[in-house]
Amino acid sequence: MFPKQMFHPHGFKNIEEDGRITGFCFEMKIQYYRGITLSILRNIEVVVDGAEYPRESIRFTVNGETFTLDEMRTVISNRWLFGQYGTVTVLTEGGLTPGSHHITCTQTIAPSYMPHILVHAGEYDFEL
Amino acid sequence: MDNKIKRSVSLYSYQQEYYEGKLDLEGCIRETAKTGATGIELLAEQMVDDFPVITPEFKETWFGWMKKYGTEPTCYDAFLENRIYDNRVCTLREQIHMMKRDIENASQLGFQTLRTLVSTPMDVIEGSIPFAEEKNIKICIEVHSPFSLNSGWADGYMEMIHKTGTKHFGFMPDFGIFCRQIPDILTAQAVRNGCREEVIKIVEDAFQERVSKGFMKIKYDLNLGRAHGEYMKANGYPKLMEALDKIHATPAELAYAGSTFDYTWCDPKDIIDNIQYIYHTHAKFYHMNEAYEETSIPIKEVVEAYKKAGYNGYLSSEYEGNRMLNDALEVDSIEQVRRQQEALRRAIEE
Repeated sequence: MFPKQMFHPHGFKNIEEDGRITGFCFEMKIQYYRGITLSILRNIEVVVDGAEYPRESIRFTVNGETFTLDEMRTVISNRWLFGQYGTVTVLTEGGLTPGSHHITCTQTIAPSYMPHILVHAGEYDFEL
Repeated sequence: MDNKIKRSVSLYSYQQEYYEGKLDLEGCIRETAKTGATGIELLAEQMVDDFPVITPEFKETWFGWMKKYGTEPTCYDAFLENRIYDNRVCTLREQIHMMKRDIENASQLGFQTLRTLVSTPMDVIEGSIPFAEEKNIKICIEVHSPFSLNSGWADGYMEMIHKTGTKHFGFMPDFGIFCRQIPDILTAQAVRNGCREEVIKIVEDAFQERVSKGFMKIKYDLNLGRAHGEYMKANGYPKLMEALDKIHATPAELAYAGSTFDYTWCDPKDIIDNIQYIYHTHAKFYHMNEAYEETSIPIKEVVEAYKKAGYNGYLSSEYEGNRMLNDALEVDSIEQVRRQQEALRRAIEE
């Protein structure tokens, strides 16, 4: 829905913990036209340079709370606002190498009123 | 011609600028006022950060804006998130509770009508009507393409209106039911996605055939997927797919062909026939050209029907062209809304 405007251009970072790089994160907006509780956000898929990361390695943070994708199923009091950046964290030892990368992130959103679910991807080139 | 048709803008129209942080909620209201429209339609779930709560602070700010910009609230667009849990559908009690919450929000913010969607079960609407009467909010079911008035689908609701005798439930047509052409920017986007000229022609011809023959209307069915499937079948979707199959259509070409079934042409006379149950209207549009023409919807002809019918509610701009452009092009919702408001003004006043 907003494929070109979804990613924060300066949001891509490796995550360092105790001197070790444990993953990477980026910021993105919703691919839908209103805010939703996280229970409606049914999946986030991340592919960087052709490599897909397992569902279990993904965390989503918005309004100061962090959830796994399975935990989000019961989250009905935290709303990801329309136009608000949420942070996707991918836990992967070593994170991403410095340099240019290409990301595809796909959001699966299930608005109650639609007979089908929405699966929208956005792509972006970034430097780390 | 003396008539009391009023103009409003749904702030949905400015979603691209809002999403990109170029306009905030006040900015959307300010842009609306600049067009000469006096009504404000709102999707609380799109632009009210504290939704579903309306805080006293927000309420005060809201009415401050209405005063500052000389506008009044028209329609509150509700969504019934009845699948908020992914393992079950909310019970009837929970759904009515959700509807009442939205009616209360609409009332707190001074709205006159509340938009509900075709997916809202009949018993949820019926169960909410006493509260809507108490709050003097008219619940309007959106007649959104491919649904239509004067149809088996609309009859289902008409029966309920007659049975209950309520004046607090009716219809709000969306101009997407008055598309005589496929929006030109949808076709341009299809071309960007690699659709071949011969495919565009086949799809356009099929659309024109539906317009000239008349669309087969959708039936009332709580199973929306099934109703929609039958609608597609009755309007020549399988035949179109067969023709595209023969020329080895790509996924992008098939997606374009399928998406054109979202646009329908109904006789504007449908408005006249149902006017006493129409309390609000979405003046949906996709592309206004420099000559102030909507490239798929004959605005003048549609507004003429509203004038003939003696409509005294709002025509509320709802711009939806952004998604046909924002994959590759700049979107200027402010200019698009300005043009459509001018076209509506001319159609109403001249």
